[in-house]
Amino acid sequence: MIDFEKLKDALVKAATAAGIEQYEIYFKTARDAMAEALGDEISGFSFGVSGGICFRCIFGGRMGYASTELMTTDEMRELVLRAVENAKHIESDDEVFIYPGSSEYGKKTAQPVEFPDAALLKNNALALQQSTYAKSKSVTDGTQSRVFAYETETRIFNSKGLSLANTAGMTGGFVRAVVKVDGESADDYDYALGCGLDRLLPLSERAVAGARAKIGAVEIESGKYDVIIDGRQMLNLLAAFSTVFSGKSARLGLSLLAGKEGSEVAAPCITICDDPFDPNCPMQTTFDAEGVAVYTKNVVEKGVLKTLLYDLSNAKKAGTRSTGNASKGSYADAVDISPLCLSIKPGACSLEELFQIALGGLYVTEIKGLHAGANYATGDFSVECAGFLVEDGQRGRPVKSFTIAGNFYGLLKSITHVGSKVEYGIPSGYTVFASPAVLARNISTAGK
Amino acid sequence: MLNKHLLERVLLRTMASGADFAEIFAERSHSSAINYIDSKIESIYDNTISGVGIRAFLGVRTVYASTTDISEDGLMLCAASVAEAIGDSSVKSNILLCERIFPNIHPVRIVPSAALTGFAAELLRAGCVAAAEYDKRIIQVQGSLTSKDRNILIANSEGLYTTDRSVRTRIVISAIASDGTENQSGSTSPGRLMGLEFFEEHIPEELGRMAAAQAITNLEADYCRAGRMPVAIESGFGGVIFHEACGHSLEATSVAIGASQMAGKLGQKIANKKVTAVDDGTIPNAWGSINIDDEGNPACRNVLIEDGVLKSYMIDRLGSRRMGLPVTGNSRRQNYSYEPTSRMTNTFILNGPDKNSDIIESIEFGLYAKEMGGGSVNPLTGAFNFSVREGYMIRGGKICEAVRGASLIGTGSQILMDIDMVGQNLACGQGMCGSRSGTIPTDVGQPLIRVSSITVGGR
Repeated sequence: MIDFEKLKDALVKAATAAGIEQYEIYFKTARDAMAEALGDEISGFSFGVSGGICFRCIFGGRMGYASTELMTTDEMRELVLRAVENAKHIESDDEVFIYPGSSEYGKKTAQPVEFPDAALLKNNALALQQSTYAKSKSVTDGTQSRVFAYETETRIFNSKGLSLANTAGMTGGFVRAVVKVDGESADDYDYALGCGLDRLLPLSERAVAGARAKIGAVEIESGKYDVIIDGRQMLNLLAAFSTVFSGKSARLGLSLLAGKEGSEVAAPCITICDDPFDPNCPMQTTFDAEGVAVYTKNVVEKGVLKTLLYDLSNAKKAGTRSTGNASKGSYADAVDISPLCLSIKPGACSLEELFQIALGGLYVTEIKGLHAGANYATGDFSVECAGFLVEDGQRGRPVKSFTIAGNFYGLLKSITHVGSKVEYGIPSGYTVFASPAVLARNISTAGK
Repeated sequence: MLNKHLLERVLLRTMASGADFAEIFAERSHSSAINYIDSKIESIYDNTISGVGIRAFLGVRTVYASTTDISEDGLMLCAASVAEAIGDSSVKSNILLCERIFPNIHPVRIVPSAALTGFAAELLRAGCVAAAEYDKRIIQVQGSLTSKDRNILIANSEGLYTTDRSVRTRIVISAIASDGTENQSGSTSPGRLMGLEFFEEHIPEELGRMAAAQAITNLEADYCRAGRMPVAIESGFGGVIFHEACGHSLEATSVAIGASQMAGKLGQKIANKKVTAVDDGTIPNAWGSINIDDEGNPACRNVLIEDGVLKSYMIDRLGSRRMGLPVTGNSRRQNYSYEPTSRMTNTFILNGPDKNSDIIESIEFGLYAKEMGGGSVNPLTGAFNFSVREGYMIRGGKICEAVRGASLIGTGSQILMDIDMVGQNLACGQGMCGSRSGTIPTDVGQPLIRVSSITVGGR
């Protein structure tokens, strides 16, 4: 067990000895476990306990950082010295802050998640795997099921008297079904939050059906197509370009949304909301990485940019207030800006209605390569896709190996209809993305 | 890092319930990052990671646990948890660890440290300033200089006890060019398995100007036309095409469970006869090199494909058990919290028989991909994608106007056959490869090659 109080006391003592008046201690611990099934047995089980501490302080008007996983009192003294040394070489004249605390913090809507024992994870991973094989004789080698659990605790303590703690956790399952039909292999996957069989077993049906539906996929001619982007793919696009909503990116010329508050940046059917208390998001926190209270806000409302996202320093530069979006990818990272639960709000159309409205075109159910094929600084994307033709207002034949290309800013303006069912991604830290399916017009597509 | 006798006790505890193999991977690493943006050093931070991963096998079943608690109690608790999860019998065994020292084939002269932070910051600044001054349309320059000093200890139930230290240094410079209505970017990101002597060969100012020039080229370029066409892919990071299209499909991670298009194809012709490709972790100071892999096996040079015929996979210990083939020195992981698996080191296509000029002149209409971005692959189907960071159209055998926004997609088995010309200017580029054992440094490489036909994504 890591004794946070003992480490904190050592840091405070070392900071005082070094003459540091403004400092913050950011402490994060986590535990995780995952069972994996392969073939007809549990092939692997892993679990981990981790923890790290980050000390940052204002020295000479600059913010110095240092962090460690070595939880000894000697290391705490080193940490203070390293943070001071790092601050000495910083040149940025951005005003930096140690935050005294918000007057009020919101209330989480997510229910606490009980960390399951190993037996439950293994049993349910095996049940998911068996269920997947039972769906079709075409299910074959390479099919994998995983069930996982994760929980984390974050604490912030600073020289302004702030002392906050938050715990959050989630469980989930994943299945990748591999099928072989007439010598042709295909795979598909599905995931869900929650580790009960009621949540997990339906994944088998969807993954197997999804994989089988890809058999016999055709290639399409290059050209311009109306494209329905599935909710899970649209949320990945939103995630890839979420940095464009950062006030820091805008200030530094890395987002074309700079100065566009109040302007139309998307089609009128698009509202994008950052809601840290969305009940579908299990990884909730009441405060951001600087201790500022998080809250719900529309970033884009009916196509109009309402606000960018800010931490304390960038808000000050922009002449506004923090939106409670300071973030740290890990305990060791410097403070950055991220959304919490960023979602495109649902429209009125079912998926079937989107097919009928589009009449023709493409239904994109898989996008790959966003990490390389999406450039947030330019908004450009060109990514590998798979999906289906839309023929006569219905989902048609499967399509493979094509790309869609465009610009994210343009894409937001080309959306004419929004689906009614919102899909959620798997949270990463306290950040998650969500989107319904959207119908975008006239998208450049490369095929055969 | 940890007492040998304690390690023996931890291994015994791990195996107490019937595991047939146990392994301890201990790590203490220090990393630092200096970040530049908006004409200033914006942030500097460093981090020490410290922890242990304990793994047990029973046949091909594995249990892996990691902890930051490296006290004796913490390690014994972790070992007991692994033992409880792997089996339920009661076994007593003896383990006598015997130290093995592997030669250091990657000498380091200037280890990055706090004392050199100012010096390193000056190097980064020099590169970023050169990028900013390259053209008045460069509106922003971002840079980072990162280093990692990794110290590992590996002990296993077969008696192995060994340690290794590796130091890596990398600089990344990204430039943004704007004409007032749109932005375009360019970047460069070399790295080596060495210390700050890296900058004796890599001049920061030249790197900055390369990034800026690419951004300006892209700003002035029109969008690439979409469709199928022949593509000439330049040396260096162009090798990402082999890394993605074939390399991942040769890792035991997917081959051993039958989830690779390359499973069961040893000895078969899988590529054009002009293609010979290797994975070589022994290249002195290369970005993806190692002294030992993360299971304690020495680095190897493995010929993967020779004259188009599949010769070898990349195999870790678990893959070896599943496949009945020997390990190849390819077991890697991001850090102690990840279970290791088979990964690439420095993977590249060797020089071929064709003159580079002949390759360009052979293309009547196609794309010249001068600089590639990253990509990904589905090893089962071999379907891959890459982005093209800097590209030009080829018309009548000549490199013509710049184009932007291109991507390449296809399947590995097809593209390996379609590499019909292989040039003679082998060079490597540096990347970070992500897979189930985390993100690790790898080199990709090749000479200029021609792919006879591939789908180019564009507008």
